Amino acid sequence: MTARETIGRMAAWLRRGRLARQLEAELEAHVELLARDFEHEGMPRDAAMARARRQVGHSLAHREESRDYWGFPRLDAFLQDARYAVRGLARSPGFTFTAVITLGLGIGANAAMFAVIDRLMFRPLPYLRDPASVHGVYLETTYQGKARIGSTVPYTRYLDVRAVTHSFAQYAASSGWRLAVGRGEGTRVRKVAGVSASLFDFFDITPERGRFFTPAEDTTPLGAMVAVLSHACWINDFGGRDVLGQRLRVGKLDYTVIGVAREGFVGASDGGAPDLFVPITTIPPNLQPSSATDYFTNYNWDWVEILVRRKPDVSIAAADADLTRAYQWSRAKYRVVNPRVLPDSLARPRGILGSVRSANGPDPGLESRVLLWVAGVAVIVLVVACANVANLMFARILRRRREIAVRLALGVSRGRLVGQFITEGLILAGIGSVIGLVCAQSAGAAIRRMLLPESTPFNIGTDWRTIGVATACALAATLLTSLAPAVLATRADLAGALKASAREGTYRSSRLRAALLILQGTLSVVLLVGAALFVRSLRNVLAIPLGYDANPVLEVVLDLRNLENDSVAQLDTRRRMLDVARSIPGVEAVARVGGMIFSTSTTTLNVAGIDSVERLGRFNFQVTTPGYFDVMRTRILRGRAFDSRDGPGTPPSVVVSESMARALWPGKDPLGQCIQVIWNDVSRLPKWPCTMVIGVAEDALYQSITDEQRLTYYLDADQLDPAWGRTLLVRLKTSNVDAEIERVRRALQAAMPGDGFVVVRPLRELVDDQERSWRLGATLFTTFGVLALVVAGVGLYGVIAYNVLQRMHELGVRVALGAVWTDIVRLVVTQSLAMAAAGVAIGLGIALVASRWIEPLLYKQSPRDPLAYAAIGAIMLLVAIIASAVPALRAAAADPNRALRAE
Amino acid sequence: MARIGANEPEELLRGTLDALVLKTLSWGPRHGYAIARWIKHVSSDTLTVEDRALYLALHRLEDRGLVDGEWGLSENNRRAKYYRLTSAGRAELRADASRLARYTAALLAVLNSTRWETP
Repeated sequence: MTARETIGRMAAWLRRGRLARQLEAELEAHVELLARDFEHEGMPRDAAMARARRQVGHSLAHREESRDYWGFPRLDAFLQDARYAVRGLARSPGFTFTAVITLGLGIGANAAMFAVIDRLMFRPLPYLRDPASVHGVYLETTYQGKARIGSTVPYTRYLDVRAVTHSFAQYAASSGWRLAVGRGEGTRVRKVAGVSASLFDFFDITPERGRFFTPAEDTTPLGAMVAVLSHACWINDFGGRDVLGQRLRVGKLDYTVIGVAREGFVGASDGGAPDLFVPITTIPPNLQPSSATDYFTNYNWDWVEILVRRKPDVSIAAADADLTRAYQWSRAKYRVVNPRVLPDSLARPRGILGSVRSANGPDPGLESRVLLWVAGVAVIVLVVACANVANLMFARILRRRREIAVRLALGVSRGRLVGQFITEGLILAGIGSVIGLVCAQSAGAAIRRMLLPESTPFNIGTDWRTIGVATACALAATLLTSLAPAVLATRADLAGALKASAREGTYRSSRLRAALLILQGTLSVVLLVGAALFVRSLRNVLAIPLGYDANPVLEVVLDLRNLENDSVAQLDTRRRMLDVARSIPGVEAVARVGGMIFSTSTTTLNVAGIDSVERLGRFNFQVTTPGYFDVMRTRILRGRAFDSRDGPGTPPSVVVSESMARALWPGKDPLGQCIQVIWNDVSRLPKWPCTMVIGVAEDALYQSITDEQRLTYYLDADQLDPAWGRTLLVRLKTSNVDAEIERVRRALQAAMPGDGFVVVRPLRELVDDQERSWRLGATLFTTFGVLALVVAGVGLYGVIAYNVLQRMHELGVRVALGAVWTDIVRLVVTQSLAMAAAGVAIGLGIALVASRWIEPLLYKQSPRDPLAYAAIGAIMLLVAIIASAVPALRAAAADPNRALRAE
Repeated sequence: MARIGANEPEELLRGTLDALVLKTLSWGPRHGYAIARWIKHVSSDTLTVEDRALYLALHRLEDRGLVDGEWGLSENNRRAKYYRLTSAGRAELRADASRLARYTAALLAVLNSTRWETP
């Protein structure tokens, strides 16, 4: 189309109404003149006019043809089709509602999953320049035959990598902490990112206010005490005031605010957005005064993550090799001071460049793997939804067969008809995607909360990536739902449709429609089997005996900040806080602990008669005050717990778990036995030759949920080291801890000396964290599985109801010939059951093959659990029976006379 | 557009129909009906112009500036659109006529040849 022609067409399109009227008038004149000639030949006026009209033909055909020439036929046709489709859809609200909701749920499931996974795994860090060249550094070592990939390294290793690699243009170090920010009552725990000054150079960003810190302010051993606020923190905590130059207490040290970052800037943070950024070289003096002088030469603390930018001419493989060499060099350096570092031949150290987002890195957690599976599930839900809507669409088109045949006969092209059906599909999918995005907003936020309990902004309305995916889903849904039915409908036998009466030949079982139903049934069954497996796996997880009751327990972390160097005052405060906690109304029991469930410590044990205790497994210890077993409700099976008989100066005693007793002294009485606890390198702790077992506690879960071993021993803090442990556990009389948490926090905070503060959270959260990924799989698989089942059930109902309506005459004849209502119901239900049974058979078969892929995501659950398969098969058949029984009963109750007379 | 039971004469006549219409209009302004009737008459009913093709051709020619349309009154006092040849149309007609003459001569030469001659 040339420019001139385009303009001409545009002009023509704009005045197409007038052009159409002109053509109408021209044709009118033509008919008149032709009729006059016929009259001259002796025809009567009426006959002449009729003949002239016939000869000129239906003016509509002319108009449509001319429209091709005026302006933009496609746009014009589309607008016309859209109006036509909207009118048609408005006339059948039932169909429209079902289709729109079905597609909306399918699209919504996909949009929600995409939004979650994109944020977790794929979205580049905000403001990051050239994200493709930026990588996280992962290091792999093999220990006892097991490869382990880690992304946190000692700061010294970061320096080593920076010193000896040459594949990278930029390096940055980053580490995230939760620290107390502020003073006194206004103290809050905030996320603090310790970052190297070089990190800011990775981004195309200038500060909102002030400046970022420079390499000169990020030097070992102690960087400058400066801080940059995140935009959100600046707005929320400081009201957007002028904060530059303000002093801010972060952890134990005072910082000066020198800048505010741009909105949305999170640095290299993978999870939640940090509230402030400080030089990474101020973190060790702040957190671990003991390592403040050697954190940049020692290798005993893994706390830094490395970010690199690959040089443009270096391949990833070459950079990996470079990194591996640097890692080997760094390990060799460490081996000089610590000969226990395994030789490379055993440890097989390897450097790997991976995604900046660890969920997409070389060692993604269970959660990201579950989420990717669920994303696949969401796609299947959409396919089921599409199959369902295609089926409805097909039924609708079949109902309009005569209309379609008439329009074809009148000269409307097949292409145009197909276009109309696709337009209809497009409108349905468009409304569906809007509904889907609304659903995805709340569903995505809910999934996100399951992953990250802290509230992070989650807004799909401005998320163009998710909106794009929803649009793509809508387009795919349009093609899937309307193309096949439309093509099939227009290919249908024209003359047959025109000749057919309302009844004749209308009941024909369609193989395509049956196939669609079976497809829906199959996919639903596959999803439901997956859901059943995940649910049973979760049940196995929940059935794990914890050995304690964490529900009414609060974890209270005491941060004594200014007392760090005053051990007497510290000790006194910890003792006093225990008493304060005990005196709070509603508190049942309290204890102070050194370790926490799921983050345990271990040390060397010697036991008489056993060569290497280590070989038996990992023995975790818990250092605690006497109230511990009352707080946790861990039962003492034999002997006794710590009590007033233990304490400073008494013979050292230990309580061991049942498993530990069995492992160390099989068949013997553990009470009175000795263990020797070796505290490597910790000189202040006593070196007892024998710590005597005074009690056996029930097994309790201290390591990760999947860990089988329950080897735990409990030591008395008052005997071992009264300074041990800065965490209190407080057991409340009520399980409704959320309501009590603030009251307990206030009471304890009021008793804290100086700048000290307390952080309180329910202990239950720790257990929830462990169960989360299992719960996630079960919840999402079940939700989507049930969604698919409902959609498939509605689809089955729709098709059976339609078939029954079409067969009313035949059924009427059957009743007239003596069939009773049970015969009718059996007839209809059998038909539906046959399709459902086919779906069940194929679905169970696929599930049987596919389920082994999800086996690693299940806890002690066979992927071929016959009970799960049988239950799902039964549920599917039941749904089929219900979906078909309703229309069948209605048909059986109908008066056969009416059906027969309705001709 | 595919059409049930209809031939597609305008495709076959494309290029010749325009010339026929232009030639008709070279006798003076005419309305569509008169053009159709005149072609039919002059060609002794051999050439029948499809009505819709005729109007499409007229609109096409009008758009290319080869004819001018103007509303007037027909013989029986109905409003009808009269088309008039423009100077561009006249030139186009001359070009078309000679092109078609060459084409027809060549076509006939091939069709009327009586023996095989190796070139």
